[in-house]
Amino acid sequence: MKFLCIPCDEQMETQTDGIMPDESKNLAMKFKCKKCGHMIAMLTNKFETEFVSKLGVEMGGASADGKAPLSVVGSQLSQAKKELDRGKPEDNLVWTEEAQERIKRVPFFVRNMAKKTVINFALEKGATLIDGKLMDEVREKVGM
Amino acid sequence: MKTYEDLAGDGGSNIISQVVSQREKLRSRLDKIKNKVALMSGKGGVGKSSITANFAACLVDQGYTVGILDADLNGPSIGHLLGVGNDQKLQIDEDGIQPGQGTLGIKIMSMDMLVSNPDTPVMWTEEGGATAVWVSTMESTALRELLADTNWGELDFLLIDMPPGSDRMDNIRDLIPELAGAVEITIPSPLSQHIVAKSITKNNTMGVPIIGLIENMATYVCPHCDQEGKLFEGQDVSELADRKGVPLIGKIPFDTRVSRKTDSGNLFYTENKDSITGKAIAEAVENILNFIEKKSK
Repeated sequence: MKFLCIPCDEQMETQTDGIMPDESKNLAMKFKCKKCGHMIAMLTNKFETEFVSKLGVEMGGASADGKAPLSVVGSQLSQAKKELDRGKPEDNLVWTEEAQERIKRVPFFVRNMAKKTVINFALEKGATLIDGKLMDEVREKVGM
Repeated sequence: MKTYEDLAGDGGSNIISQVVSQREKLRSRLDKIKNKVALMSGKGGVGKSSITANFAACLVDQGYTVGILDADLNGPSIGHLLGVGNDQKLQIDEDGIQPGQGTLGIKIMSMDMLVSNPDTPVMWTEEGGATAVWVSTMESTALRELLADTNWGELDFLLIDMPPGSDRMDNIRDLIPELAGAVEITIPSPLSQHIVAKSITKNNTMGVPIIGLIENMATYVCPHCDQEGKLFEGQDVSELADRKGVPLIGKIPFDTRVSRKTDSGNLFYTENKDSITGKAIAEAVENILNFIEKKSK
C-alpha cells in the first residue's frame, strides 16, 4: 500500500517515529509528504492489523529482534520457552513490569517503532524509568 | 495524478525488501537439502507420524542424512517419537536454531520443542482472544520460520510430517515449490479411503506430485507365529489407487512392536528390519527413492 499527497503528487513517507498503536490491535501509522509536510494517519481495525501481520515483517525496517531466528513465533507464542522471549526491551532504561507488558502487547510488526518512540520520549524528558504513566504521556504527545 | 506503478519505492515501510529477505533466507536453507517429501493423509489417526519416523530410520540405515519437520503444529508428535524431550534447552544463535537430535541422529524441528512444558498447547497471544484469521496467519508464519530458521545443514532428505487434512499443503507448496512429492497414507477402512481420496484430488488439482499411496495397518501380524490377518474390513486400497491414478507403493502390516518401540524413543525399523513389517517399510521407501530418481532424470 502506498500513499500519495494529491496536491503535491508526491509519495508520502512512512514515519518511523510517533507511532503509538493501541494494544487492542487498532493500529495507527503516520505518513508525511516530504514536499509540503502534510501528514495523514492510517488507522486499521483489529482484522486489518492481523492481515498486515501475516507478512511477518516490521514496518519501517527489521530490527535486531525481527531478524533473529523464530522472531515471530518467539514473540507471539503463548508460554514459549524463555530462550525465545523477545518481548523484553533492551536498553539502559528501567522498564516497570506494567510497561514491559504493554509494549509486549503491541503487534510485533510495529513493536520496535513503538519502543523507539517511548525510549526517545523518555530520553528527551531525562526520565530513567519507563512506566505506564510515561507511556500514557507518549500516547498523548504523539496524538494517537 | 501518479499511479501505484509511478511510485518507485514503498515510502519507507521497507516491507518488500523484508519479504525478499525472508524468501532468500528460506531458499538458502532449502538449497542445502536435496529432497523434500511430505507425508500426509486427509484422515487423522492413520499412523502418519509413526510411518514418517520409521521411513526416516530406513533412510538413515541406507546411509542418508535425514531431517523431519513436524508440520502438525497443534498435535506435534515427532519429538516424542524420536526421543527429543520438551526439557531440552534451545540453542539459538544468529544463524538459526539448532534442530533437535533425535534417534539415529535424525534432525527434527517441532512446536513441542518451543513451548515451556510438555502439556502446554500451541496458543497465540495470552489473552485467548485470538481470532481464526489470526491463528491461521500465525500458523503460516510459524511454518515458514520453522523451515527457514532451523539450521538443518546439509541433508539428503527432509521429511515433512503433515497434520491431518490437506489444507496445510497450500502453505508447504508455497514455501517449498521444489517439493519432490507427497506420500498419501490411508488405512483400509472405507471412511479413511473416502477422505484420502479427497486429499489426492486436491493435490492433483494443485499440481502437487503424488509419489504414491500407502496402506497402513493393511494387515495384522501375529507376534507369535508371524501369520497375517485382516485388521480392518474395507475395500481394497488398490482400487482407490487405480481409481485416482496413483501407484500403491506400500502395504504396511500392523505390528504391536511399532507403537511399543516408538513410544520409548526408539524406532521399530532399526531393530526389526527383517520382520514382515520392517520389510514392508523398506519396500515403500525403495519405491519413494525410485520415484525421486526417475523424476530427477
